[in-house]
Amino acid sequence: MKESRLMLLQYATAIVAVVLVSVHLIMQGVILPYTKAISFSNILSIYQNGFYAVFLEALLVVVLVHGFNGVRIILHEWRQSAPWSRWVDIGTILAIVASVGYGTRTVVLAIFGGG
Amino acid sequence: MGSEGLEAAKNKRGIWGWLNPAHMNLERWAYVFQRVTGVAILLYVLGHLGDTSFFVGGPTGSGPSPSGWDFIGRIFENSFGHLILVIVVLVLFFHGMNGIRLILAEFGLIFKKPGAIEYPYRSKSLGSGQKYLIWVGIAVAILAAMWAFLVLFEGMG
Repeated sequence: MKESRLMLLQYATAIVAVVLVSVHLIMQGVILPYTKAISFSNILSIYQNGFYAVFLEALLVVVLVHGFNGVRIILHEWRQSAPWSRWVDIGTILAIVASVGYGTRTVVLAIFGGG
Repeated sequence: MGSEGLEAAKNKRGIWGWLNPAHMNLERWAYVFQRVTGVAILLYVLGHLGDTSFFVGGPTGSGPSPSGWDFIGRIFENSFGHLILVIVVLVLFFHGMNGIRLILAEFGLIFKKPGAIEYPYRSKSLGSGQKYLIWVGIAVAILAAMWAFLVLFEGMG
C-alpha cells in the first residue's frame, strides 16, 4: 500500500479511535460507578451483548492498527534503507495480527468459552 | 569532519534529535510528546490486552473465569494501579486532542494564507491558532485526568 494511503489510514483510525475510546471511557466511569463497571458480572454481560462485543472488537482493531502503524512511521523516520523498511513493514503486520488475534481470543472465549 | 559532514550528522540524529532541547518551540515539543505518548499508549494497550485476557483465565484459559479476574484485580485495583490509569488518561487525551490538531493541519484547515517574508520573520501561515489548540489539548488532558482521579479514587478511602 502507498505511504499516502497508509497515512490516510492513520488519520481515519485516529478519528474512529477518538470516538470508540471516548465511548469505552464513558462506559467505564460515567454510566456505572467504576467498581461496578469492572465487576465480573457486568463485564460478562457486556461481552455477551452482541452489539458491545462488536464494539470491543472494533476498538481492538482500530487502536492496534493505529498504534502499530504509528510505531512503523517512527521507525521509518529513524532509519531509511530498503531492508530496514521491509522488515519494519513485515514486523508491523505480524505485530498487528498477533495482538488482534490475542485480543479477539479473549472476546470469543468470553462469549462462547466454557469457563 | 568538515562543515558539510557536521551538518549531515546533525540531520541524521533521527529520533535522538527529539530529546535535544535546543531550538525547541511549543510545536516541536508537541511533536515529541505526540510520539512519546503514542508509544506509551501502545505499551499500555498491550498490557491491557494481557490483563483483560485473565477474564477468560489468561493465556491458557478457556472461558469466563471469576478467579482469573479476581487474581488480576488484586494486582491492579489499588492506589498505584489507579494512579497509572490517571496518567494513562492524561496522555491519552493529550495524544487525542493533539492528534486532531495534526489532522486539521494536515488538511490545511488551520493554516493562514502564506505571505511575503518580512521582519521579524515569523511564519505567517502558521498563525496563532495552532498554539491555542496545543494549549486546549493540554487543558482538556488535565481536566480528563482530574475526572479519572475522581472516578477511580471515589470510595477508596
